Amino acid sequence: MSKILYLPASMEDFFLEVDALSRFTGRFFKTFLKPPFEFSEIIKQCFMIGYKSLGLVTVTGFIMGLVLTIQSRPTLARFGAEAWLPGMVAVSLIREIGPVITALICAGKVGSGIGAELASMKVTEQIDAMEVSGTNPFKYLVVTRVLAAMFMIPILVIFADGIGLCGSFIGVNIMDQVGLRLYFSKAIESLDFVDVFPAFIKTFFFGFAIGIISCYKGYTTTKGTEGVGLAANSAVVLCSLCIFIIDMIAVQLASFFMN
Amino acid sequence: MNENKDTSNMKNETGNRIRLGVFVSIAIALFIVVIYFIGNRQQLFTKTITINGTFEDVGGLREGSNVRFTGITIGTIDKVEIMTDTTVLVVMTIEQSVQKFIKEDAIASIGSDGLMGNKVINIVSGNPNSKVIADGGTINTVTPVSMDDIMNNLAMTTANAALITDDIAVLTTNIRTGNGAIGKIFMDTAFANTIDATFVNAKNAAGGFSDNMEAVKHNFLLRGYFKKKEKEAAKAQKEAEKNAAKQTKEKEKEKDSKDK
Repeated sequence: MSKILYLPASMEDFFLEVDALSRFTGRFFKTFLKPPFEFSEIIKQCFMIGYKSLGLVTVTGFIMGLVLTIQSRPTLARFGAEAWLPGMVAVSLIREIGPVITALICAGKVGSGIGAELASMKVTEQIDAMEVSGTNPFKYLVVTRVLAAMFMIPILVIFADGIGLCGSFIGVNIMDQVGLRLYFSKAIESLDFVDVFPAFIKTFFFGFAIGIISCYKGYTTTKGTEGVGLAANSAVVLCSLCIFIIDMIAVQLASFFMN
Repeated sequence: MNENKDTSNMKNETGNRIRLGVFVSIAIALFIVVIYFIGNRQQLFTKTITINGTFEDVGGLREGSNVRFTGITIGTIDKVEIMTDTTVLVVMTIEQSVQKFIKEDAIASIGSDGLMGNKVINIVSGNPNSKVIADGGTINTVTPVSMDDIMNNLAMTTANAALITDDIAVLTTNIRTGNGAIGKIFMDTAFANTIDATFVNAKNAAGGFSDNMEAVKHNFLLRGYFKKKEKEAAKAQKEAEKNAAKQTKEKEKEKDSKDK
């Protein structure tokens, strides 16, 4: 590589990476609207990404709600405001903690899975073979996975939120006696469309980021077998980072537009 | 063998699809339920009417604040708009089901939800015989007593109290030092003795006066006048007795007629 811009090597690598990722994303948008659509493959990937992560997300969501309630309780109890516990937990779960934690869990599970799978296909030259046999590997492998991640992450987040509220209900009832109906009516009462919709919309972006980054890392891997582990690893790291960055942007935009 | 594997694979695939379908539909149902409940709270799915009210000062009331009737939340504030330099228009959206309880002369006032809570509008129902308020009608309002007003009044009251206490202080000093009539009465022992002596003298003088009057009555020049007075008094007494007798008779008559 010739030095054109006289940048430090690490920075040059970073910008080259950004460029390659942007091109990859552009290629995705060019490809995904063109028929034929691989519906059955999309559904299969949805099953792999969504349904197979359900157990993990359920357990995490439940613990999130339970722990958040138990941890918030002493602070609220100091003001004698234990009655606000359901509302506070519901708002923080649905606005922030549910989407972000679920996306991070999925980045770990789904991101590493996709990264390793595509990387191993790449190093064993299966992708090249597909290209030779006339199927568009990008369409068949990348577009399906990205779309599946994009649809499944929001649904997993809804599940995590719901289970998290159930966990919080149990957390409240460890110390207090609050009926199920009262708990959920208080939780819903504190929620607004402003809490639900921006949080729901950003999960699509989380899903898209997880799909596109892990596919990119797997699809463009080099260096043989070593590259498979590297791709899986860097896919998870980059996905997690991007989730936080997207979250920050989403919060800024939401507070800008909603006020 | 190979065919068997294929069919089991296909079965597996359909099973997976069903599982995925169940999973996705549960999540979507959950989402819709939450949206429905939130929307329900904001009266997206119930029939509503709007009523208007004008206030001089809304005291921090905002769009989305609750409207309460007998302590129950029946609606929200739709719009808070400045009409003129002294009036603010508040448009309230309330459930149609409670319209029949809110009369034309109902009164809306701005209160707050708890000590530090949000501002709410409280509606007090009017005369039960008056007409029900119409959709888009205007409700009477009471301007809330703001904390500033209370503080202003309090400031005035304390200023007045200060003036009064100043006056009282001057008065008490005067009394203590023996200035003025009251001061003399309270503080001057010599003056008190004088007053005492005066009263004794007055008593003696009054005794002398009554003796004088007795003497006058027996004087021949004035005896006629006093006798005349005695006769008149006796006559008046007789007449009064006659009248009383008449009245008792009439009363008896009335009683008899009633008994009959």
